Amino acid sequence: MISLVFIAALFALLLYVVANMPPMGDPDNPTNSSEVIERYLEKGGEETHADNVVTGIIINYRGYDTMGEVTVIFCALAAVLAVLGRERRGRIYAYVDRSRVPSSVIVRTMVALLVPFIILFSVYTILHGEISPGGGFQGGAIVGGSMIVFTTIFGLLESSQRIPQRLRFPLEGSAVITFFAVGALGLAGGGNFLTFAWPEIAGNLQPSLVVWLTVLVETGIGLGGAMVLISILFSMIREEEEIAVVP
Amino acid sequence: MVQDIVAGAFCCVGTFFFLVGTTGLIRMPDVFSRLHPSTKCDTLGACSLIVGMAVYSGWSWELLKLIIIACFVLLSSATCGHAIGRSALRGDIKCWRRKNGVEDGHGT
Repeated sequence: MISLVFIAALFALLLYVVANMPPMGDPDNPTNSSEVIERYLEKGGEETHADNVVTGIIINYRGYDTMGEVTVIFCALAAVLAVLGRERRGRIYAYVDRSRVPSSVIVRTMVALLVPFIILFSVYTILHGEISPGGGFQGGAIVGGSMIVFTTIFGLLESSQRIPQRLRFPLEGSAVITFFAVGALGLAGGGNFLTFAWPEIAGNLQPSLVVWLTVLVETGIGLGGAMVLISILFSMIREEEEIAVVP
Repeated sequence: MVQDIVAGAFCCVGTFFFLVGTTGLIRMPDVFSRLHPSTKCDTLGACSLIVGMAVYSGWSWELLKLIIIACFVLLSSATCGHAIGRSALRGDIKCWRRKNGVEDGHGT
């Protein structure tokens, strides 16, 4: 009874707050009075060449912030591996299915059928993230999630063969490396770190080149995020005895 | 005009099934009876919403995307229901039973 009263009071409070929110698109809204937002909306298109202003802000104006996030993900992997330990190079460890009920034929068939489509969707999310909602972080998380499903159903051996170690280990750092390399390119061109304006080479880069650089950064973030998730999963799920040697 | 009304009707039906399914998920006493309403959310609820959106969008590329989404929703939700029900049954989870007309307080 008390919980019902509490929920009703919370509901009324939330309705009151929503009713008092500033109307969408009103030029007198408090957020629109900031100079920063005006600058983003008016100059964002010509300064970053991004069709989507959100992409321009995340990759370009707030590039330091995004690079910090990428570094945080990499540090999370480093911390997990420091605690759990990484599998030895060239070895695959046993995965013992400890669930009381082994997965049925239906589940195995459906997972085998759906995982390629999930990965295809994540490629779309990464590559189309430049002009639509999505991007590297989301696409990488989708790949990681699909591999979690695949590994819990088919076991560690199968998925270790699908994602070989010699591909996985170097790609874990690809997000940080790509972001830093593209940022340093801006520095080499005479501009600021993490900008696409290169005054010494050209007054401003061709828009198509900037788009490709953005796609490169997004792809790096996506691959790196996916490999970080898969490595954390593999180090959590493995058992101690080795069962196979990577060919 | 007729198109809008039909689309709205389908969306209302979908929302109704989502409401019923969620209520059942909260109120039902054990895994098996909870599985029954919650799978209705995905099949009837989401598919009615998708049909409503398809009617609203008319003949366009969105229609193809919506059909693909409906196919994947149907495939994956049916598989999920199967997996949960099967592992609950094989894992010896007791069915809820009413004792002499008195509820045993397993519900919320």
